[in-house]
Amino acid sequence: MDFAKQLERLEAIVRRLEAEDLDLDEALKLFEEGVERLRAAREQLSQAELKVKKVLEIESSS
Amino acid sequence: MGAPLDLFTAASAEGAWTVGEVTKRARAVIEAGLPPLWVRGEIAGFKAWRSGHWYFSLRDKSAQLRCVMFAKQNYLLPAPVDGMQVFVFARPSMYEEKGEFQLTVMELLSTEQGGLWKLAFEKAKASLTKDGLLDPARKRRMPKYPRRIAVVTSPDGAALRDIQAVIGRRWPIAELIVVPAQVQGNKAEASVCSALNRISRLPVDVLIVGRGGGSIEDLWAFNSERVARAVAAMPMPVISAVGHETDVTLCDLVADLRAATPSAAAEAATPDRGEVMLQCGVIAQRLARGLRMSSRRVVDRLARMGDRLVTGMQHRLDNNRVVLTAYGAHLDALSPLRILARGYAVARDEKGRVLKKVTQLPVGKNFRLRVTDGEIDAQVHRSPSPGQGEGVRG
Repeated sequence: MDFAKQLERLEAIVRRLEAEDLDLDEALKLFEEGVERLRAAREQLSQAELKVKKVLEIESSS
Repeated sequence: MGAPLDLFTAASAEGAWTVGEVTKRARAVIEAGLPPLWVRGEIAGFKAWRSGHWYFSLRDKSAQLRCVMFAKQNYLLPAPVDGMQVFVFARPSMYEEKGEFQLTVMELLSTEQGGLWKLAFEKAKASLTKDGLLDPARKRRMPKYPRRIAVVTSPDGAALRDIQAVIGRRWPIAELIVVPAQVQGNKAEASVCSALNRISRLPVDVLIVGRGGGSIEDLWAFNSERVARAVAAMPMPVISAVGHETDVTLCDLVADLRAATPSAAAEAATPDRGEVMLQCGVIAQRLARGLRMSSRRVVDRLARMGDRLVTGMQHRLDNNRVVLTAYGAHLDALSPLRILARGYAVARDEKGRVLKKVTQLPVGKNFRLRVTDGEIDAQVHRSPSPGQGEGVRG
C-alpha cells in the first residue's frame, strides 16, 4: 500500500470518528480499520534498508 | 622579426620551389617567429562545422585574420556571434592546403559584459522565458511521501553518496532509482538529456538532478538550453542541485525546486521518518479518542432514549392513577355498603342469594341479614300476607 494513500485514509477515518454521528457498529469498524492501517504504516516506517536500483544506459526502461 | 626573408637562397638556381615547399617553409618561419599571442578583434563570418570546428575571421578597421578553433578547444564554449568583440589566445600558423595565414585559436574570451557565457545564458533564458518555462506558477510541489525517487548524477561522485545517505536516513521506505549520467565534459549535454528521457518514462514521484562541486565551466551541461527544456518537460517535480552558490544555472531556474547541495536536495525530496512516526502516534490517539467520542455519543443517545422511555411510562402510569382514583370514587358511591351504612339491610339465603320477596321467606326460613357492620343469622317468625311488613326474629 502506498504510504501517502495509507495516511490519507487514516486521516479520513479519524475525521469521521471525530465528527460524525456514527452508530457503534460503524464506529468500531472504522476504528479497527484505522488500527490495522496504522500498524501497517508503522511497520513500513521501521523498514531499515533503502532500496537502490541503478538504471543502466543499455537497459530498456520498464 | 630579424632579417627579411630570402626564400630563394635556399633553392637551387636551376629549379624553382614547389608550392608545398613554400607553404611548409612559410609555416615553419611563421610558427618560429610568432609565438602564441593574444589578439583582439571583432568576429566576422562565424561558421560552426558539423565536426564541431569553428571558422571565423577576426578583423579591425584595416585588416583581418582567418581563424580556426577546433572542437576540442571550443566544446565547453557557447558559440560567439558576428560583430562580437573578443580576445583570442592563438598560435599564428599557415594553412598549407589553402596557402592561408591563419590563427589557431586556443582560447576565446568575449569583452562583452559577462563574456560569452553570460551572453549565451541570457539568450537561452530569454527563450525559456518566452515559452513560459520560468513562470513561477509552473513550479510543482514536492510529494509528501515519495515512493520512488530518481537521481540523475555521476555514478561515482560524492553527490550520489550524499543523496543516498540522506534518503537512507530520512525515508528508506522510498526506492532510489539512480540513472548515471556524465555531468561534465563534451558528452554531458547528450548524456543528461538521455538520462532525463529515460526517467520520464518511469513511474517516479520526484527527480533530483545533482552534481558535486566543480568549476563554473563544468556547469556547462546544466546551462544548456536543451537540458533546461528537458528538465521543464519532466512529468514529475524536479529538484536541481547543480548550481554554484553564486551561479544559478538554467537547470536550477526551470526546476521546481533549487537546492544548494545534493544533500539539501535529498532532504527536500523526503519527509523525516521520525516525524512521521510521531504523526502516527497522534493519529493513534485521535483514533482512540474518536472511538471513545463515538461510543460516548451512542451511550448518551441510549441514556436519553431510556430517560424518555421512563418519563413516558411514568406519565402514562400517572394518568392511569388519576383515572383509577376517579373510578374508585365512583365505585365507592355505588357500593351497597354505603347503602347499608344509611340503615338498610340485605337478606340473603345460605347460598348468598338476595331475598327480595315475601314468597322467598316462608315461616321458619333461616336466612342471613347483612347490616352495615356485620351479618347476623335470622329466622322468619311469622309469615305476613304479601305487601305487609312482618316481624323477624333474630
